Amino acid sequence: MDLTPNDEQEALRTATVDWLADNMPLDQARTRPASIWQGMEDMGWFGLTTGAMGLDHATEALLFAELGRFLAPVSAISTAVAARWSDTEGKVALALGERILDSGDTETALGLFDGKAGLVSYQAAAAEPSLDLSTAQTILDAAPEPALLGESEAALHFRLLTAAYAVGCAEAAGAMATEYAKMREQFGKPIGSFQAIKHMCADMAVRSQVCRSQLYYAACALDGEDPDVDFHIGAAKRLADQAALENGRANIQIHGGIGMTDEALAHLPLKRAHLLQFVAPTATAELL
Amino acid sequence: MDIGFSPEEQEFREQCRDWLQTHIPAEKRPLNADEALDFDKAWQRQLFEAGWAGINWPERYGGRGLSIVQQVIWLEEYARARAPWIGANFVGINHGGPTLIVNASDAQKAFHLPKILKGEAIWCQGFSEPGAGSDLAGIRTKGRIEGDEIVINGSKIWTSFAHVADYQELVLRTEEGSQRHKGLSWVICDMKAPGITVRPIRKMSGQVEFAEVFYDDVRIPLDNVVGGLGNGWAVAMSTLSFERGTGFIADQVKQSQEVDDLIATARAEGLITDDRIAEDLAQLKAEVSAVRAMTYRNISEVERRGQPGPEASIIRLFTAELGQRIERMGIRLMGERLLDFRYGDDDLVHDYLRGFAATIAGGSAQIQRDIIGERMLGLPRSR
Repeated sequence: MDLTPNDEQEALRTATVDWLADNMPLDQARTRPASIWQGMEDMGWFGLTTGAMGLDHATEALLFAELGRFLAPVSAISTAVAARWSDTEGKVALALGERILDSGDTETALGLFDGKAGLVSYQAAAAEPSLDLSTAQTILDAAPEPALLGESEAALHFRLLTAAYAVGCAEAAGAMATEYAKMREQFGKPIGSFQAIKHMCADMAVRSQVCRSQLYYAACALDGEDPDVDFHIGAAKRLADQAALENGRANIQIHGGIGMTDEALAHLPLKRAHLLQFVAPTATAELL
Repeated sequence: MDIGFSPEEQEFREQCRDWLQTHIPAEKRPLNADEALDFDKAWQRQLFEAGWAGINWPERYGGRGLSIVQQVIWLEEYARARAPWIGANFVGINHGGPTLIVNASDAQKAFHLPKILKGEAIWCQGFSEPGAGSDLAGIRTKGRIEGDEIVINGSKIWTSFAHVADYQELVLRTEEGSQRHKGLSWVICDMKAPGITVRPIRKMSGQVEFAEVFYDDVRIPLDNVVGGLGNGWAVAMSTLSFERGTGFIADQVKQSQEVDDLIATARAEGLITDDRIAEDLAQLKAEVSAVRAMTYRNISEVERRGQPGPEASIIRLFTAELGQRIERMGIRLMGERLLDFRYGDDDLVHDYLRGFAATIAGGSAQIQRDIIGERMLGLPRSR
């Protein structure tokens, strides 16, 4: 039993963060160059658990949490799952009912259909903006008919990576709020010295820690074919969704007026959190 | 990362399980500290003789010198088997003993540690005072040094098991005129020494477990200082950080059982069809699962780096508040039967009332949030 990343995993995580900080800063989340996709592919993130690379889901979840922290394209999730469980190559958008998220530069999408992972084809059309300013979407006339993937693990894998994104999103909001609380002064002091603000930051850290821990456990449960793997991944997704949403809201409150603006970055994790709520959500009955 | 245990650890788990299955006392542990004393001592003695006391304590002091993972396995199985709370032995096993292991002289360890493990010596804690609660550095109980003795005057409060204890881990001011964290010492106080008066306090749950302690010219040997005169704050903090170690795992298993019991009750009574109740129960189940993940992470951190990370404060805060959410769900399912509670009852209402302590004792939830904000997140100090 060991639930801390080993040296190799830490090294991969550091390399991931370094690349993301250089190439995918949050202040460019809504205007990313098309070449970013090639860069991500070169980093190998879409094939971590395929036979070629053969890493485990724990490592993958660790890195996807970092992708989530930088609000990376959500199609990284669908592309990685498609690469692992189907013969599809290249970018795969994320299907959500009749919506296709991150729909550009491909005509294939992957999503959940009655709890099973499936691929759909769609006609490329001009993508429109969504609430999440880093995600463009195409809305089809009707929900497409999926070709379901044979393996039931595909749906678990999909939910696990979405949970990892939500963990990163929750941590991004928490870190942003805490940094701001150290810098912003009122009454002659940093606002983070006031307990009302400090305790909100502490609660954000608690929520982040809770969902990250459950994410690790869930990823290991998938790797180890644990009989309770469905529960653990479901719990990870639910806790991460809540953390992302609650931290996203608290971040705006701590930023005050500036947090209300389009210009500041505080609204970006909140809007991403809302999007992630709809992707592979965990129903109450799945946990009882 | 992995959540599996080695074959040796699995075998150890089997041994724990087998022994517990056949040895857990049939009778229930009494609620009040004085009535429970004989029970607690006999059970601790039995644990010691079978080799289950001090699993990761040093062998030379009566422990078994095994790994922290084995200690965790034992605690998991202990809770899973619904074995009784160690009660009066709690302070010695979880606070006093571990502090002695880190800070005491060989002679102090050799004398006290085996007694604690065997259930021969009951310990209590003497940190809080009427004027020093969350602000622990406000301690005013004085120790005047006279030759090779310390003469103690003052009072302590919220001291669990004080009226049945043999020894106390007592933090007092040994330097006249010293302020705050300076000039404090951590001493072993003999609770049978002349000049000590204990006044038990009844809790709102009806239980008599903690007490007020008064010291009137109590004399103890200077040799009873642990970790050096004037060094009490650092010694006390080492106890508190130990407390943030493996102890959570037993709580986690217990909470997990409680949630499963609540789900069973809600199903049996048809309450699960209420969406809000189902939703909240599902939430509790997910949260309890996360506590295990957090605790495993913390233990892995100790194994890898030799000490728990700052996230231990997070586990502590989250576990305490989660326990209260579980207790509140328990009485929510109970409905008006809540009103039938009487002092002496040992049920969900008792747990609910007693459970308020979780976010007060050993550093309130508010202090924990300060610690997380300041020590982990690096926010500027409030005070």
